[in-house]
Amino acid sequence: MIYLQLFLEFFHIGLFSFGGGYATLPFLFHIAETQHWYTAKQLTDMIAISSITPGPVGVNVATFAGYTTSGVIGALIATSSVVLPSLIIVLIISKLLEQFKHNNYVKSVIYTLKPTGCGLLAAVGVNMFLNDMSLCGIILFLPLLILSFFKKLDPLFYLGISALFGLVLSFIKPVF
Amino acid sequence: MEKNLYNIYKTFFKVGTLLLGGGYVILPLLQSELVDKRNWIDNDELCEYTALSQSIPGLIAANLSIFVGYKLRRTGGALAAISGMITPAFLCIIVLAKILEEVIKLKFIQGIFWGVGIGVLILIYLAIKEIWHKSVIDKFTFTVFFIIFLLSVFLKISPALLVISAIVTGVVRQAILNRKKPEGEK
Repeated sequence: MIYLQLFLEFFHIGLFSFGGGYATLPFLFHIAETQHWYTAKQLTDMIAISSITPGPVGVNVATFAGYTTSGVIGALIATSSVVLPSLIIVLIISKLLEQFKHNNYVKSVIYTLKPTGCGLLAAVGVNMFLNDMSLCGIILFLPLLILSFFKKLDPLFYLGISALFGLVLSFIKPVF
Repeated sequence: MEKNLYNIYKTFFKVGTLLLGGGYVILPLLQSELVDKRNWIDNDELCEYTALSQSIPGLIAANLSIFVGYKLRRTGGALAAISGMITPAFLCIIVLAKILEEVIKLKFIQGIFWGVGIGVLILIYLAIKEIWHKSVIDKFTFTVFFIIFLLSVFLKISPALLVISAIVTGVVRQAILNRKKPEGEK
């Protein structure tokens, strides 16, 4: 049953993703490979849309994936499933806040999980880079990357410049 | 403004609407809405909740909303906050998803999406850099990072499996540390 599958997949994303919105991406790409609910190309479009619409990217992508799979009900299930683990975990922690902060095992697990989340995200970054890059991509990517070394800019600046570059390019270049 | 459930929902709805381009902008938004404008919590509490939200699983924005909501009005407040946070995202995507199939045929839209896709790569790089500074701090954490990275890129092992292995590693590491240290010195 598709609804149950959606619930399980997105619940496990909420439970295991570590390190913010883009940390859901490794899981979403894994779903693309295993469940065939959407393709990696569709997911890349979803990520682009999610980055320029309001709300946490993780929630956007969950809603989108749920909707493409089985309509509004799918979207509702995916979105609530992805935040349900947060709700359970945070409510428990709020009640046990003091013990939680000072437990050595908890500290050691967090200490190990942080670089894990970083490694997973780095892997996604590399894979997306290899999939998406073309000559025009490099022409846009490299200057922005170099700029980011020197100046701390609003994330929206990068998205705005990139969108503008893509828009202009669409009038010159026949296909993407 | 009174801390009732409706106002909590409304406040987080506003923050959710203003939240563009990734979860890291949520902190300044919450500071302005909850600390400065409404005086619902203070800056220290917000910083503590942010640190906690980053050290547990789940979306940081979701975790943070639930922490603050719970602090304001216990479980009801938590539910109001998280619903408010995800409503704008949900509505926006549902509307967009309906028209997307038509819209994506337009060439200039394809161009914009392509461009934003490249911009997202920059944001992902920045996110990696930010997490890296906080998480890869010594030989052990570097080794964990490197092994996870290699397993994920080359063997395509399921991320959940890697996270579970990391949790086990963390527990085993602490058990070994406990054994090395004399009793009572933990």
